[in-house]
Amino acid sequence: MIRLDSARSVILRLMVLAALVLLPPMAIIFAGALGDFQQGMEPELDRKAATIGRDLAGDIAHAATLGIPLDRLVGMDEFFAPVLESNPELRYLALTNADGRILFVAGVQATVLAPHYETADFEQAGQRKAIIDAYLDIAVPLEVKGERLGHVHVGMDGGYVPARLHEILIDVVTVLAVAMIIALEVLLYVVALNAAGPLKQISRTFEAARRGDFIRIPAPGARDEVGRFIRTANDAVCRVDELYRRLIAYAEEVKSAHFDKGVVERVAAIEDRIRYLFRFSESGSPEVVHHRRALDVRLPLFLFVLSEELSRSFMPLYGGTFSLPGVSPEMVAALPIAVFMAAIALASPFAGTLTERMGSRRVFLLGLMPAVLGYLLTGLAQAEAGLLVGRVATGIGYAIVTMACQSYVSKAAIGEQKAQGLGVYVGAVLTASVCGNAFGGILAEHAGYRAAFFASAVLAVAAGVLAARLVDPAETVKARREAGVGALFRLLRNWRFAVFVVFAAMPAKLALTGVVFFLAPLYLHQLGWEVADIARILLLYAGSVVLLSPAVARLADASGWRAGLVALGGLIGGGGLLLPLLGGGTAPVLLALLCLGVSHGLSASPQLALVSDLCWTEVQEIGRTGVLAQVRLLERVGSIAGPILAALLVPVTGYAGAIAALGAIAMAMAVVFAVAAVAYGTGPTIGSDAEVRP
Amino acid sequence: MAWSLPRKVSAALLAILLCTAAATAIFGYSKFEGVLSSLVRSRYSVVVFSIKKDIEDRLALGLPLRQLRQVQDAIEREKIDQPQIQGIEVFDAAGEIIFDTDRGAVGAAVSQDWVQAAQAAGHQTFARSEEDSLIVGLPLVDVLGRVVGAGALRYPAASVAEEVRPLLAGQARSGLILLAGFAALAVLGTYAVLAPFGRRLAAMERQLQTTMAEGGPPPAPADNDPFEARFAAFAASTREALEHMQDATQDVGRLDRLEVRE
Repeated sequence: MIRLDSARSVILRLMVLAALVLLPPMAIIFAGALGDFQQGMEPELDRKAATIGRDLAGDIAHAATLGIPLDRLVGMDEFFAPVLESNPELRYLALTNADGRILFVAGVQATVLAPHYETADFEQAGQRKAIIDAYLDIAVPLEVKGERLGHVHVGMDGGYVPARLHEILIDVVTVLAVAMIIALEVLLYVVALNAAGPLKQISRTFEAARRGDFIRIPAPGARDEVGRFIRTANDAVCRVDELYRRLIAYAEEVKSAHFDKGVVERVAAIEDRIRYLFRFSESGSPEVVHHRRALDVRLPLFLFVLSEELSRSFMPLYGGTFSLPGVSPEMVAALPIAVFMAAIALASPFAGTLTERMGSRRVFLLGLMPAVLGYLLTGLAQAEAGLLVGRVATGIGYAIVTMACQSYVSKAAIGEQKAQGLGVYVGAVLTASVCGNAFGGILAEHAGYRAAFFASAVLAVAAGVLAARLVDPAETVKARREAGVGALFRLLRNWRFAVFVVFAAMPAKLALTGVVFFLAPLYLHQLGWEVADIARILLLYAGSVVLLSPAVARLADASGWRAGLVALGGLIGGGGLLLPLLGGGTAPVLLALLCLGVSHGLSASPQLALVSDLCWTEVQEIGRTGVLAQVRLLERVGSIAGPILAALLVPVTGYAGAIAALGAIAMAMAVVFAVAAVAYGTGPTIGSDAEVRP
Repeated sequence: MAWSLPRKVSAALLAILLCTAAATAIFGYSKFEGVLSSLVRSRYSVVVFSIKKDIEDRLALGLPLRQLRQVQDAIEREKIDQPQIQGIEVFDAAGEIIFDTDRGAVGAAVSQDWVQAAQAAGHQTFARSEEDSLIVGLPLVDVLGRVVGAGALRYPAASVAEEVRPLLAGQARSGLILLAGFAALAVLGTYAVLAPFGRRLAAMERQLQTTMAEGGPPPAPADNDPFEARFAAFAASTREALEHMQDATQDVGRLDRLEVRE
């Protein structure tokens, strides 16, 4: 039985349904399409092999017409070599005589082919194509003046077509996985907005009415079954309210007009009894309240972050297509990431103030303007300057929109629901990061980098359409305290906080932007990976953070070992990034990304909690949000420095060396933090507490 | 028009289904088309490679490009062997066509874009596209390593699409039928999941209306659902409040009338 006011029970059933209607048809259609693709590719591969064979046979036949016996031809290896080299799907070339004896072969051991050639009858057309071991062998007859001298054999890679089909399959599976996550987000939004949310609100009215409180009723919302039900419940409250007002008006009339004091007193007593038992609005009718829920903002936020994450895997590759006089190519590729981070850092405090003044909805929509403009400028950029302007605009928009969402969530979530509200925010950002990375890579590979930015603009606009439905509060709450420069210096005087920021928070961001955003895409591209593959490889990082974070958050809360987890995370991340020093190739990079994901998964949640522990008195002074805002601002120094430092290192050390160098920095910082964490002790910072509260 | 909850959820599911099908179809086809196009291109590049090798061997003997008259026969032979080929051109470093399967074009100039592409390609193939044709070419390099011209082969741009179309037409038909079936399943499934939800709300609505109009016992909560328990308590307390108001109003009225009569 579905619980009426719980989104979870409905969503679970709908997700099972979504999986049932999405996955089987896609699997069936795609299985059929793969067969067709195979049918389409194999003849083309055969044609190519035949073309190569015909070409080679023509040259060899020319030699034969000059009277050179086939087995006396010289320089056949040099003759075959360039053909093998320029056709990667070609595995071998062989020349056999009329008896099927191998005279020359290149690319494979003759013993692999000989048993087949000696038994096959190539005079029959059907036997000219054969699968030998892992090769597809095409035999092209070699004839001079009508006499069959032998065959030229062209061996194609038997795994070529399956490998291409596998690549297509991986793309489709990625799209399906992303579709399932998006389905979850959309269904969650639809159900929360139309059913679970409104029913939770009316549930509060039920609870209040049980206590005799008939002051507020929720807005009925849509004209569907939920809306009708809420209207009926509201009508019941309104009816009681109406009778109450009639009663009070009648009682007032009797009290003011009646000559008998005894009657007046007894009527007043009745009135008092009613007022004692029940409470009604003083405005003349029940107050209609428009509640805001943290879930309302989840889908707009998800779409917006998705729009930014689309370009995550290829931004340095796209940046690298531009040039700036006197600036190294690596720095040109790093600058778009660095300026984006800098724009976020500089716009965030301003965005916070703006949200307090104008409300989340309007600020969200306002922030979309620079963001969309930025995506368009980035997609249309013809020079590095245009690209940088685009990224700055997007960074400003990103700061404004995410700040508006944080504010919305924090105001929607009350008391115990604060953590839940934060979970809504973090969940939307993390899932969007995973989906955006995966989908953006595929999109860029098929449609190009620029098209991906235009898709980002469309997604951002879609986020705006949904955000336009958000409810702004009737009154904006003034920020408790201004968390400005004074607050920053106040926090930095707390040595525990300063150590935490410099040796834990900043290095984490330095490694993130330096390695995950910048070096890894460039290095993997250099290793020959396509953009879609790079995006999937980067999921190792995002995926491990998503999987590890919730469990570690619970562990950190249960054990209280927050500084330890942050230090451990730093050591694992730093150590992992040293792995590319051990050898080249993709595997060390994969392991490094995995270690960094584990590192950030271990430290992300404990970092947030640790800040409150370390800055107990400062939190009382400027509020937890204010303190966290300063942490976010300071760690952006690491975000900006990451790609810049990496770009400076690459010309000297290469990509693997640069990753290891950033790893060494992160490792050294983590060691210092681990040592300092031992000195932290436990409990609030009594020293700084004493400074404030004498 | 007011949309019921199952209709809204069905619409969301159908939109997701269609978008997913479109995205997988576009990406899947695009990758397949890319692989097939590169296979076709590389097949034609083998032909150009053969011509290039032939010409470069003769250039290595010291013969100037213009005097290699056998090349004209060779390229014409290739075109006859492979009727899909639209044309093969050999041009010099300045872009003047020296040999062409369309003999009338000899002496004309190719686009400067081709010349630059050939110069930039080194020993690699270069590819260009024109209105209806795709071009694959290879630079001709003399013994001193200088690019002295290039050979280029022109083939129809639509050749891949034409090859793939019949394969995919059948696939698209069966895919659409399958999608329509699963879309219907999505709608039915959504109604199956959410219809009881709507029925329970409607039943509760009726119960509340009855309780408020006629009094009597409040609705009993079903299956210990906390929401329904709260609803039952609400119905009871609202009814109780209503009765209180009515009783109090009667009391006030009675007091008013009683004292007036006295």
